[in-house]
Order: sequence, then structure tokens, then C-alpha cells
Amino acid sequence: MGSFLRSFRRDVGSSTPSVGATPAKKEPQPPPMTPLEKMLQDMGSVREDGSDKFFGMENVSWSILRLSLVANDRSNSYCNSILQCLYYSVPFREAVINYPTRTPIESLEAAMTKNLRFQNVAANLEAEAQAEKQRIANAQRPGAPPAQPQKPEDKDSPEYKKKMALQTLPLLETKNNAVSYGMSESLFTSLKDLFESVVASQSRIGIIRPQHFLDVLRREHEMFRSAMHQDAHEFLNLLLNEVVANVEAEAIKQPVPERSILPAEHAESSEQSVSSGSKTPNTTRWVHELFEGTLTSETQCLTCEKVSQRDEVFLDLSVDLEQHSSVTSCLRKFSAEEMLCDRNKFHCDNCGGLQEAEKRMKIKRLPRILALHLKRFKYTEDLQRLQKLFHRVVYPYHLRLFNTTDDAEDPDRLYELYAVVVHIGGGPYHGHYVAIIKTQDRGWLLFDDEMVEPVDKNYVRNFFGDKPGLACAYVLFYQETTMEAVMKEQELENMNSNIADFNEASMKQNGFPQSPGLAHVHSASQIPTHEEALRNTGLNRAPTAPQLPTHTEDTGPENVPLSPAVAVPPPVPPIPEAVSSRPLSPKKSDVQSKKERAKEEKERKAAEKEIEKVRRKEQEARVKENQRREEAELKAALEASKASKADEDRRHVPDTGKDSDSKKSGGGLSRLKLGSKSISQRLGKDKDVRATSSGLPAVPSPEPSTPTPNSVPPEHTQPPSSPHKGSPKESHIIHKPLGHDDEHDALKSPKGDRGKWRSFSLRKKSFSILS
Amino acid sequence: MFVLPPPPPRYTVPVAYAAGASNGMAVPVVETNNVISHPEGGCPLQVGEGTYHLRDNLHLATPPPHPSEAPIVNPNPLATGPTPPTSGVKLLLVSIGNRSKTPTFPLSGAGTIPVFGEGNPALAPPVVKEGLKRRKPKNNIIKSSSSFISRVITHEAATKRLNDQNPDGLFAFANINRAYQWLDLGSKQKEESLTKILFTKAHIISHDLNQLTKSSSHIDIVMGSSAGDIIWYEPISQKYARINKNGVVNNSPVTHIKWLPGSENLFMAAHANGQLVVYDKEKEDALFIPELSSPSVDTVKTWSRQPLQVLKSVNSRNQKTNPVALWKLANQKISQFSFSPDHRHLAIVLEDGSLRVMDYLKEEVLDIFRSYYGGLICVCWSPDGKYIVTGGQDDLVTIWSLPERKIVARCQGHNSWVSAVAFDPWRCDERTYRFGSVGDDCRLLLWDFSVGMLHRPRMHHQSSARQRTSMIISNPQHPSRHRADSSGNRMRSDSQETADTYGSYDPTVRHLVEPRSRTALLPPIMSKIVGDDPICWLGFQEDSIMTSSLEGHIRTWDRPREGINGPGRTS
Repeated sequence: MGSFLRSFRRDVGSSTPSVGATPAKKEPQPPPMTPLEKMLQDMGSVREDGSDKFFGMENVSWSILRLSLVANDRSNSYCNSILQCLYYSVPFREAVINYPTRTPIESLEAAMTKNLRFQNVAANLEAEAQAEKQRIANAQRPGAPPAQPQKPEDKDSPEYKKKMALQTLPLLETKNNAVSYGMSESLFTSLKDLFESVVASQSRIGIIRPQHFLDVLRREHEMFRSAMHQDAHEFLNLLLNEVVANVEAEAIKQPVPERSILPAEHAESSEQSVSSGSKTPNTTRWVHELFEGTLTSETQCLTCEKVSQRDEVFLDLSVDLEQHSSVTSCLRKFSAEEMLCDRNKFHCDNCGGLQEAEKRMKIKRLPRILALHLKRFKYTEDLQRLQKLFHRVVYPYHLRLFNTTDDAEDPDRLYELYAVVVHIGGGPYHGHYVAIIKTQDRGWLLFDDEMVEPVDKNYVRNFFGDKPGLACAYVLFYQETTMEAVMKEQELENMNSNIADFNEASMKQNGFPQSPGLAHVHSASQIPTHEEALRNTGLNRAPTAPQLPTHTEDTGPENVPLSPAVAVPPPVPPIPEAVSSRPLSPKKSDVQSKKERAKEEKERKAAEKEIEKVRRKEQEARVKENQRREEAELKAALEASKASKADEDRRHVPDTGKDSDSKKSGGGLSRLKLGSKSISQRLGKDKDVRATSSGLPAVPSPEPSTPTPNSVPPEHTQPPSSPHKGSPKESHIIHKPLGHDDEHDALKSPKGDRGKWRSFSLRKKSFSILS
Repeated sequence: MFVLPPPPPRYTVPVAYAAGASNGMAVPVVETNNVISHPEGGCPLQVGEGTYHLRDNLHLATPPPHPSEAPIVNPNPLATGPTPPTSGVKLLLVSIGNRSKTPTFPLSGAGTIPVFGEGNPALAPPVVKEGLKRRKPKNNIIKSSSSFISRVITHEAATKRLNDQNPDGLFAFANINRAYQWLDLGSKQKEESLTKILFTKAHIISHDLNQLTKSSSHIDIVMGSSAGDIIWYEPISQKYARINKNGVVNNSPVTHIKWLPGSENLFMAAHANGQLVVYDKEKEDALFIPELSSPSVDTVKTWSRQPLQVLKSVNSRNQKTNPVALWKLANQKISQFSFSPDHRHLAIVLEDGSLRVMDYLKEEVLDIFRSYYGGLICVCWSPDGKYIVTGGQDDLVTIWSLPERKIVARCQGHNSWVSAVAFDPWRCDERTYRFGSVGDDCRLLLWDFSVGMLHRPRMHHQSSARQRTSMIISNPQHPSRHRADSSGNRMRSDSQETADTYGSYDPTVRHLVEPRSRTALLPPIMSKIVGDDPICWLGFQEDSIMTSSLEGHIRTWDRPREGINGPGRTS
């Protein structure tokens, strides 16, 4: 809220005439702008696709905590970080919003006025008091620097920033809209609720409360009910599987109306989301199309040299780590050849008997979004428990896969890193997750629960695992891209920096030497220049959200300044130095660095400044014009490449369809759960024993491997009655073999639970069909 | 609620200051000495010609933080402030005496070696009056009161040792953290540094020595720092001068620095903001203002499409002050560059994944090649100037042919990013080449490659395989703008396009990424983990191979006995 009002006020001060509030000169000082607010000021009007919304996610358990004052280990940062990563995947977000139909923006806005809650002072004060208590209680929260009660609050600490965010930003709560989607409530509908709320919000920043989503999650999955630290990767896998299940369950429920909606809806959505890669959310396979890939395990019998193959699908890849390695190398290791010999021989169909063989796993169909799980939690024998590996594993901004089969389509597909989920903490049983995400046009942002902060591109590389602070990359999201898109982006980046340089240079020429402090350039960064360029579009900003001011009754005194106050600058001191290295941009510098400049350049005359300002304004107008043209060009190019991609995707569709048909043969319930493929040679052997001893010739074993004795039978032979002993749980077992008796029980129950719920929903479904 | 165990200790030494910690290194609290060790069992490198035996491992001491830097007790892992750049140890080897020179190879463009800026009378060097006497920098580094230099520690017997210098001796200069050490590798006590310079905050990232002016009484070294400042240092007289002081010309870190071949005064520095700057060690700095013919945003915009923007040409008349020339290549870090042996070309690798081959004398980019994916990190030329070898974030070493203007092979064998590549001129001849590479995977790899031995991989599925990655989608508005050259899979941006907007011919050929299915793959002849920390430098000497690592381990391997006697292969 604060931000909106402030930026509103600034606009009023600079360009638009007064809106009717009385000018007030002295008012309680609003909190200083956060770097995010700074970055977003002067943006154009709010877009409809949600790509320009930057919402923190409330760590709900904290609010529970504030009441109960128990040690915080019910953090839902695992869920927040993953949800943010999914939201900023353009095709995924579009698909969620468009399936089964896109809710009209008007009705969303109407609902929003009910759901958007603004803070009031009393609540703030209360919250502050509680937060204080919580901060003390929370002092030993791992990973984050411990709060030091004796000192005054550290304004740079994440805790402080989150508290401020909670106090000042609008808080969004979601409501169950499942009925309006024509679906029964599920994890998918609550995910859609979350996404729609953010998209429909008139405010660009704020905090969303995923309480309802968590309620559904906990209701349906007992394992997330416990106070234990949850695993972000497990959650990702479960969520994707659950979305698949929910969507497919709905499709079975109402196949006819869905088809009938298709054409009209399709036309509409494609118009609205031209840039989105996936415009066919009406088919139920959109999750598959985005995240699913196919692995082929090739086994070559060394006696008869016959190669037998077996395919399986995956939604993400789990790779073993080695010290001082790269993601590329981890992926290659996963496909390295493996000898099946001694006790581990392979039952060859052709020769009819156990033979020595060579086995390797390769990727046959590349996913559009490659979710890579780095297995940082490893069971160590000597410690008898899971341990976190702090191996240095480097990850590049771009990636191609070396381990593809010879007949893979587009084996040189280029991926771009767009999100990193970071685990902070010393071990697997506690810690905190944050996400660092590359947004469409705002560069990289750090999402730490309620806090959202722009970061330098190089920041992404702080989590290789070798830096102090126990923070390591845990899940990497790579999305498909093209060389042209990459080069276009680089070109744009280059141009923005040139324009910035140029402006700076012309400033120098006009006798404005940079003060050394401001001129410190630390790196070739993407964001500042971007920011610089985009700021130029600021003048034609539309006055936002007419209905919002009606809420000002609720706002505290610190938010009252809805006056066209003649651009009274917010106090300078506490502003964290922007990530950017550029000299303060003209418009901002006029207000913000006035004091500093006055000090430094007392002798400079005001008249000179005026001339300079006018000149710069002219320049900016020109830059702005060019900027817009350039962006249009970029968009056109992107669309062209997207179109070609979409073309290819269409070609993908038929065979994936076939694929699923063959697998669905067991009926609605025996739907194959898609596992994350766990890649480990040693583990591989283990299960090959199983395969051979089971005496199932040429029925290859299931790939996700279990190191624990309670191995899971091959998925293919699963009777439909127990369809959920699938791989997502296996990774859980891999993670937590410690005391696996208890754990296993704990694991089983949610499975059973879920199975029950599923069949329950099926009954409900058939019931609804009957009625 | 259950009580959580404390996180296991990970850093045995308290992390003392941000700069040191930024590369994951633990930093000591007090000044320590270098340590030399002779690991038992060694770390033999077995190759066709014999076994390379590890002679010793010299561990350079990491200096303690400057007292002005507050120790960070509990670093916030999510702190968004910029981390100052630093680099691992890179050695500069100097043989003063009559050690035999590196073998030379016939170069294609033989004849007079052109010198950068020859045509510009404003750059003509002043007539040297005092014959052979070299000019030294002005300031004494030992008595310096500069805030940039913290202190200088000299060996008490340094002068004596310099006088007794073995004519076959070998000096080495090494950067580690905020220290810069001068080592005498020819002496018995090679772990004792002759001089150790401690900077206040800046780290030296790259340094180079002028081969032209080198003598037993004079060594010209330039070093580029993380602050952007450049130091011209003459170690024998202990004099120095500062160039680009406080980043007045360019305030971003110097990622690579080299003397221009054949020049006594000029050197080139690559800055992290994508600029290549030529400085003159004798000239004063001046605030840099781009020399644009028609300064307007439109020109700037058009320029941004160019692979090289000449912000100041070497042919500029205004040559009273630094910089001599300034080119902008991209908005991304320039990782490294290398001059061709015939001094006509410059190969530059960038963080954006491009390898750009320049005719630097004409200030033109001739070719742009692209990594398979990810940024490129290091580059070098074959001794005969025919091949360029790069290493990058795709874990690959890639060989490119200059005469053929194409990729020759991708070399697969590293398990992480490749940090340095170098040819071994003692084991190269007209047809076969030996080069080595080191990387973040702590490995040293050796590669042999000969012109005839490369094969393309099996070609099964070509037809459908290379669609998206290898083809540049032509701009819908200008479908004819680019044409793909069928033979070389390269693309020339048509001169028309640029002539319209910029008024000049664009000489640059932009090459597309070759798909895997059409590129030869080369395996290493030797791969060995040589340490516990990433290796960041590699050098070949007549009698040895040397590497240095992030944390300061300098390892030396003796060549196999039978291989020492002269060039050529013995196996």
C-alpha cells in the first residue's frame, strides 16, 4: 500500500494535476522505499498477464507462531519458494490461469476488493509487539543471522525487511473459487486461486497469504501436517503430480462441456497471452507438456550384443553430486555407462539367461522446463543420518544436455536458467528456503517469504555451495529457449548500458563530474541498465487503480500521505544502496541526492542545474522513444520464435498422447505417478538385482531407485489397487532412511490417506455423473 | 517440540573478511609464511612419452585481512551487496638469463611485425635520449604512503640474492588475495619471497610482463586490480606508478591485462564491464569521454548491434592522455584475451559465450564464434597461430581453426568449468599439437590433437536433429537479411543492413553453434585430479609443467627424462 501511495504521490508531484487531497507539508515520514519499490516506480500500467506482479508470500506458520510462541520449524518457505518459481514460469502460469477457463478479469477484480486487505495501525503495532517476541523466540532460526535482542533492530536484516513488508504492503488472501472453475476443491484449484489473485491485483507488490493452499495441502497430505522441516523438491514433485491428478480427474468428470468451450476460449486466451508458450491448457496434458521428459534405459547384452530399451517419463531429474563438479558433469555421470556383471547380471531375452551387459540411461525426449534437483542430502553410514553436502557444484546460466539418445528430437536444445531454489541451513532437518528468479523484464529477484528484492545477475552464482553461510542451490529450473532469444537479450542489455553510458558521458561533458562514490561499478549487471531503460517509459504511466483510495480509511497515519505533496523526498539515510551501480538517474537524483549534492557541490548554481535538467529530459524523451521501438522489435522476434516453438510442440503432442493412453490402460486410478528420476549408479545396481531375480525377462526395472531394503516393486506391475507407491515417495525414502521404521509408517499413512481420498473423490465423481 | 542440533562446523577457520571469503577461501588471522612440501608418492602424470613426476608443491600464504576491514562473524548468506571480485593465483614466469627460449614456429604471415598505432603520428614514441636506459616508474613502493598499498615486506637478503642470481634462474610473480609476491624459483629457498606487496583492499586479478624490455636490471610488470586501478611495477628498483587511478578511465575490475606485442609502453586491459582499453604506461590519466562523431542516442543504439564499438580509436589525434584506445564489446565481462603469435589477431572470450577474433590493428571484429552454451573463460593460440583453443562453462575445451574459420573439435573430459588452457610448444610440431587444460574440477588434462586424426561422430539422425539450435530464425521483417552459408554454416550480416544505418561495411562473420552430431569429439590423453581446490593457471616450461590453484598451491612436475633433450616427440 505504502508503495502504491508513494509512487502515486510522486506522479502527482511531477506530472499529473492534483487529485483532490489537500497538500500537507509536514506529515509522518513514510518508511523508506525498498529496492523493489524503487525499481518498480514509474512503470507503465498494470499488465493483465500477471508478469509484472511481485508478491511476497507470507510464511503462514509465522503467524501461528506469533500466537503460540513455539520454536519455528513449521516454516512453509519450502512451499513459498516453489510456488514462486512456478508462478514465474510463463507457460505454467498461463496454463494454470487458463485451465479450465480463464476467469474474466472484472470478476476477479470484484472479488479482489474483498480479499485485499490493508494494514491498519493497531494491527501493525500488535504485530510489531508479537514480532518482537517472535524474534526472540526465533533467535536460533538456522541459516539466518541470529537476531540480537540487545541491539537496535538491524534495518538490513531479512527479519526486519519482512516485518516491514508485512506492515506496509497490501495483504492478499485467497478464497476458494473452485466452484466458479466448475471443479471440486483441490490443490490445483487452490493454486489457481493463488495465481489468479496475484494476477488480478491492482497493486504490483504486496504479500499473498497461501493459508488456504496450505490448508488443502495439509488436509490431503499428512506428511505436510507435521512440524518437521519439509523438502522443497518433494513438494515440487508432489504438487506437479497432484495438479496432473486433479486436472485429469476433472477431465474424466466432465469431458463434454470442456470440449465445447474449447474454440472460443482458445481464441480468447491466445489473444491475451500471445507470448505464452502454451496456449492449449484445455487439454489436460499441459503439465506433461511442460515438465515431462522421457528417459530411455538402454541395456546391451555383451553376449549377443542385442540392445533392449525401455522408456519412462520423469517430471524432474535428481542428480548425485560430486565435490567440485558442474551440473553438466552431474547430468553426464547420470548417463554414464554401467556394467552389469557378477551378482548384477542382466537377464537377456535373446540369449535366454543371465548375461553381462552394459547399461546407460539417456534422455529421449527433452522437457520444456527442466527441473534439476541437486541431491544435497545424503545418508552417511558413519553418522547414521542424513547429511547436507556442501559440495561446490557450479551451474551455468545456459545449459544443453549431453546425455540424449541418438534419436532424440532437438538434442541440442538450449536451456536457460530461470529460477534457483536455495536451501539455507546446516542439515536436512531444518533450514529455510528462498528462491531467486529471473522475471520476464525485471531481471533477477530474490523471493524470501514476504520479502522481494531485486538482485544483481551475479548474485545467482553465490549458491554454488562454497560460500560461507550454508546457502546452496537445491533445485534449478531451466527453461527452453533459443539462441536468438539469448542474443536478442544480450543486445538489448548492451544497448541499455550504452545509453546509460552515453547519458553519463554527456553529463560529464557538461561539467557534472561523477562523484566517485556513485560511480562505483562493481560488475556488468543486467538490472540497473534495464531499470534505467524502463524508467524512461515512466512518464506515460496511467493513474492506477481508481478504487484503491477507498481503502485509505484503513491505513495508518504513516500511509495517509495521499496528498500531491510537492514531492517531499522520503528520508535518505536508511535507503539501502541500490543494487545498481549507475549514477542516480536524473529524475531520482533530483530529489534523493539533492542533499548530498548540495553538500558536494555547493558552489554549483541552481540555474545550471535547471538547464541540465531540461536537456536531460529531452534526451530521455528520445531514449524513451527508442526504447519503446526496441522493445516492440524484441517482442516481435520473441513471438516469431515462440510461434516456431509452438509449431514444434504441436508435433510433440501426438506421441505424448499415445504414451499416456498406453499407460492409462489400467483405468482411472492406476494412473502412473510420475517420479523424479533419481540418478545414481550404485543405486541402479541395487534394483537390477531386483529385476533379474524377479525373473521378468526384458521387463526392465523401474528406474527411481531405493537404497532402503523396503524396495518398491516395479511400477509397471503395480496392481491398480495400490497406485500410489510411486516414485515421488521414493525420493522421500531416499532422503530419510534414518529410522526408517517410524518414517516409513509416517510415509505410508499419507499414501494410504491420499489413496483413500482419491478413491473418495472418484466416488464423488461417479456420483456426480450419475446425478 | 524437538530441539535441533546445531549445524555442523563447516569452516575450520573463522571467515575473516568478505573479500577473501567471496571465493570460499578461509582467511587466516595473522601473517604466515609460504610452505613448500614434497608430497610422498607424488602425483605422477602418465602420458605416452613417459611420466611427469611432481617435484614440489609450494603453498603461498594467504595474507590476513587489512586491519580496517571489520571481520564478518556471521555472514548473511542472502546479503545482496556486491561481492568484490577476486581470482585464484596466476603465475608470471620470468627467465632473465640464458635459458633456452621457447621453440618458435613458422608463422603464416611472416615479414615485418606490425605495431599497434603505427599510423598515428600522435602516438610516435618520444626519442629516447639515454640510449638503452629504460625509464622507470616514479614512486618508490617501499616508501609509499599511498592508501592503495598497505605495506611491502622485502627479504633481508634480497639484493644479495639478486646479485648472485643464477643465470638460469626463474623468477615468478604471483597474486594471492590482497598480496603480490615475487618469488625466486631458481633458488634453494624458493618458498621465501623476495618481495611481498600487501594492498589495502584491492586484489590483483591479472598481471603481465613486457618481454621486450625485460633485462637483468629491468622488468616491466603491469597488474590489474579488482578496483579497476592498474599498477606499473618495476621490481628491481622497487618503483611503481598508478594508472587509471581511482578508475578515472574505467572503474570496473580489470579481468585480464597484457602488454601489446612489440610495444614498450602500450598495454591492453580488459575490464569487467565489457570494455577493452589500451593504456600507455607513460601517460597521465584523464576523465574519459567517448569520442563519438555524432553523439546522439540513435547512434548509440545502432552501435549496440555492432560487435565492437570504438569509443576512442587508436587513430584519434588526441593522444596526450590515457586511454590510447577504448573499445566496448558487450555489457558482459570479458574473461580473457590473447594475441596471436604473428601479432596480427586478437582472440577475446566473454561471459556472454562468444569468442571474437579481431584484427586489432584495424579495430575490426572478423569472426564471432559461440560456445556450446554458457560463458567462455579462457583462450590461447597454437604456437603456429593456426588454432585457437578456448575453455568455458560448458565444461568443454574447444578447438577453432583460424584459416578455416570454423570449429574443429570439442574436447570433453572436464567435470567442471575450464579455467585455463595452454599449448606445450615443446611437444608441438607442424602436424601434432599438445595442449593442457585445468579447471574448477581440480583436474589437469592433457590433449593431443593432430590435423588428420579427427573424425566426425556418427551421423545417424542428422535430418531431424538440428533444427532449432543451429538455425537462426531470420527476422520476419527482413527474411533476406541473413543468409546461411551452406558450406560453413556461418552467417554474414549483410553489408546492406549496416550500410543503411551506420554507413560502413560490417566485416564480421557470425558463426552459428554447431550441433553435437556434426562436431568431432576429442578425448584427453591424460586426466588427473592434482589438488583439493580448483586449479586456475597452467604453464609449460622446457623442463616442467606448472599449475597454481585458488588457494595458492603451486605445483611443478618434471618432464620425463628422455623428453628433455630438445623439441620433437620421442615416443
